[in-house]
Amino acid sequence: MDNKGSSQKAGSLLLLLLLVSNLLLCKSVASLPICPSGAVNCQVSLRDLFDRAVILSHYIHNLSSEMFNEFDKRYAQGRGFITKAINSCHTSSLSTPEDKEQAQQVHHEVLLSMILGVLRSWNDPLYHLVTEVRGMQEAPDAILSRAIEIEEQNKRLLEGMEKIVGQVHPGVKENEVYSVWSGLPSLQMADEDTRLFAFYNLLHCLRRDSHKIDSYLKLLKCRIIYDSNC
Amino acid sequence: MKENVASTVVFILLLFLNTNLLNGQSPPGKPEIFKCRSPEKETFTCWWKPGADGGLPTSYTLTYHKEGETFTHECPDYKTGGPNSCYFNKKHTSIWTIYIITVNATNQMGSSSSDPRYVDVTYIVEPDPPVNLTLELKQPEDRKPYLWIKWFPPTLVDVRSGWLTLQYEIRLKPEKAAEWETHFAGQQTQFKILSLYPGQKYLVQVHCKPDHGFWSEWSPESSIPIPNDFSMTDATVWIFVAVLSAVICLIMVWAVALKGYSMVTCILPPVPGPKIKGFDTHLLEKGKSEELLSALGCQDFPPTSDCEDLLVEFLEVDDSGDQPLMPAHSKEHPGQGVKPTHSDPDSDSGRGSCDSPSLLSEKCDEPRANPSKFHTPEGLEKAEKPETNVTQPQGPQGTSVEGKIPSFHVSGSQSSTWPLLQPPGLHYSRSSYHSVAVVCKLGLGTAGAAPTLLDKTDTRALKPSQTIETGGEGKAAEHGESESFRSKTDQDAARLLPQDKTPLTSAKPLEYVEIHKVSKDGALALLPKQNENSGRAEKTSTPETSKEYSKVSRVMDSNILVLVQDRRAQNLAPFEEPAKEAPPSLPQNPAAVDLASFPAAPSNCRLQLGALDYLHPTGFMHPFQ
Repeated sequence: MDNKGSSQKAGSLLLLLLLVSNLLLCKSVASLPICPSGAVNCQVSLRDLFDRAVILSHYIHNLSSEMFNEFDKRYAQGRGFITKAINSCHTSSLSTPEDKEQAQQVHHEVLLSMILGVLRSWNDPLYHLVTEVRGMQEAPDAILSRAIEIEEQNKRLLEGMEKIVGQVHPGVKENEVYSVWSGLPSLQMADEDTRLFAFYNLLHCLRRDSHKIDSYLKLLKCRIIYDSNC
Repeated sequence: MKENVASTVVFILLLFLNTNLLNGQSPPGKPEIFKCRSPEKETFTCWWKPGADGGLPTSYTLTYHKEGETFTHECPDYKTGGPNSCYFNKKHTSIWTIYIITVNATNQMGSSSSDPRYVDVTYIVEPDPPVNLTLELKQPEDRKPYLWIKWFPPTLVDVRSGWLTLQYEIRLKPEKAAEWETHFAGQQTQFKILSLYPGQKYLVQVHCKPDHGFWSEWSPESSIPIPNDFSMTDATVWIFVAVLSAVICLIMVWAVALKGYSMVTCILPPVPGPKIKGFDTHLLEKGKSEELLSALGCQDFPPTSDCEDLLVEFLEVDDSGDQPLMPAHSKEHPGQGVKPTHSDPDSDSGRGSCDSPSLLSEKCDEPRANPSKFHTPEGLEKAEKPETNVTQPQGPQGTSVEGKIPSFHVSGSQSSTWPLLQPPGLHYSRSSYHSVAVVCKLGLGTAGAAPTLLDKTDTRALKPSQTIETGGEGKAAEHGESESFRSKTDQDAARLLPQDKTPLTSAKPLEYVEIHKVSKDGALALLPKQNENSGRAEKTSTPETSKEYSKVSRVMDSNILVLVQDRRAQNLAPFEEPAKEAPPSLPQNPAAVDLASFPAAPSNCRLQLGALDYLHPTGFMHPFQ
């Protein structure tokens, strides 16, 4: 009798353990298909990582371009903002290749770090952009919604890029270089003209930098994944 | 001095200006840069539109300066792009940089500059159309034939390094069609077209678009003729399908033709005509109604006089109210038929059901002091002594009786005939109250055994009854005779009483009362039914027939009608007297008194026999014992 009872207890306990372990495993499997950062033997392929990153960067630039066009059409007509928005991007301090030859001459790790630097430089401006666009009188939904989307996607792209770097260039302690943005006071200026120009400048720089990141990533993808034979 | 110099200078200038104007020469107009384009995001070209040249040869120069730089550059190449263009080669092209470009027009008279144009190469990419567009008709054996279109990206675009990503679009149309059929091809450089019209010449074009750029121009048209025998395999399939459907249609038509009618009747059944089962129309034609009607199952159609038996409801009336029992009545005529057969303790044998314990109720034990409680049932013209139909005593008649005498229920549905004990020819006018309810028959009536028993035992009773009968018979025809009869009956009450138990001879015919009519106020008019067997014509004498009990005195217990003779209709006065006389005579005769007291009891007794239509004479006997 005792044996039976104890065996039954053990069996039920085992079953319970099995159940719990299954639940945990299922949960962990279903959460993320991407390898944890720092892992050497990763299951998600580099190709998938790059494909995903390229999709994100392409999407972000499309949104930025639309947002800029919307703002320009609505607020910047006849104000000559373009004449003033010369050499006014905060990321210009980061030395980045200016054409294809220069970009092809840069080593992909360097290029990756440059991408990361630009991406990191935009975390703060994007956050404030969303806040300030919300505070605008008659906040246009087309601009606000895109700003919110860009901010979120930018974070995802940054994560993806960090994973790519982890695979392509593992174990390297990276200098997190990025440009500090100091244009917040301009966004909050009482003078409408000044404030609008600040917005215009910010959106103009965002459009440019998102295009830059997209181009670099596509270059890297073809170079690394397809061996320059896309 | 100075004023002189100034005025002189002005004068000279004006002269100069006038001279120029007279010549028709002027400084050039303001040029305008109208387009800048990069075909591969590595170089770009700008074109300007010159203004008025002012009649003099004008030279144009393009100057620019880049974002972040201070000094101004001049266009490196004016030729490559064509006239009034400036081509920036790879060296001079920087991406993600704003170029501020200005065109200067200069002539002998002067110069003018265009508005600066801010150009970022990133956003002016527009590639050349794809090249080497090839068309090929493919007809594999086991698959459908198709048109295979192939092309190559523009030469200048660097797609392999990923610097630009191109997306393509093709369009085609038959040579003489008006609209183009456009298909998006994505990033692939080939396309297959399956749906083509044979025997026509097709034109195909392709163009491309870079990511974040503009669509290129359409490539030059390529044409290909489609042979007539293109996609023959489809036709065979259609031919087969057509033949098969034709065969199926033929089969269906044939089936419908053969059994069309039955199918139609199945779907739309015909409306049936009227028809009687078992009815042969031929009989009707021949005119044989008897056979026809027998086929219909109708008996005796049209109905004969016999049917009257079924139609009329009869009430059996006991005519034995003539009996001296009646005289006990005060008001009405002692209905006839009262009956007290009592007083003979030995005569209960063979009396019948009335005497059986199951029938008698306890109430039978109480003799009635007031004999005038009986009411003979209607129709008691015949005072048939032996036969007495006891009626229910009515309320007013005797209060003491009321509570004790249950009411008999005579169901109207009973089409039973109440044989009326018919005193031979006796005119029983005395009965003024007639209860429609129970009729209790002494011995006679339903029970067949009773009469036989009575016959045996009551020969003695019979005699006087017969005597009375005969006596009664003789007087039946006359009103006056009834008087004598009554007196006789009164006298003989004592004798008659015990003899009453003879119910009556089975020899005595039963007299039936027929409901002649029902008047408006619910009065039943009763007539004695003419009994065929009865040989007594006197019974059917006029006065008898004319006698109608057509007045409803009252209703007892909600289901008993107490009928009264309509005095107006008949001359009852003479009858009443004897009735009145009767009661007084009773007391004279002590036996009668006793006997008179009895009638109530047996009547009570009888009345209690609710289930029975008739009462046996024994019932009368019992209480008196």
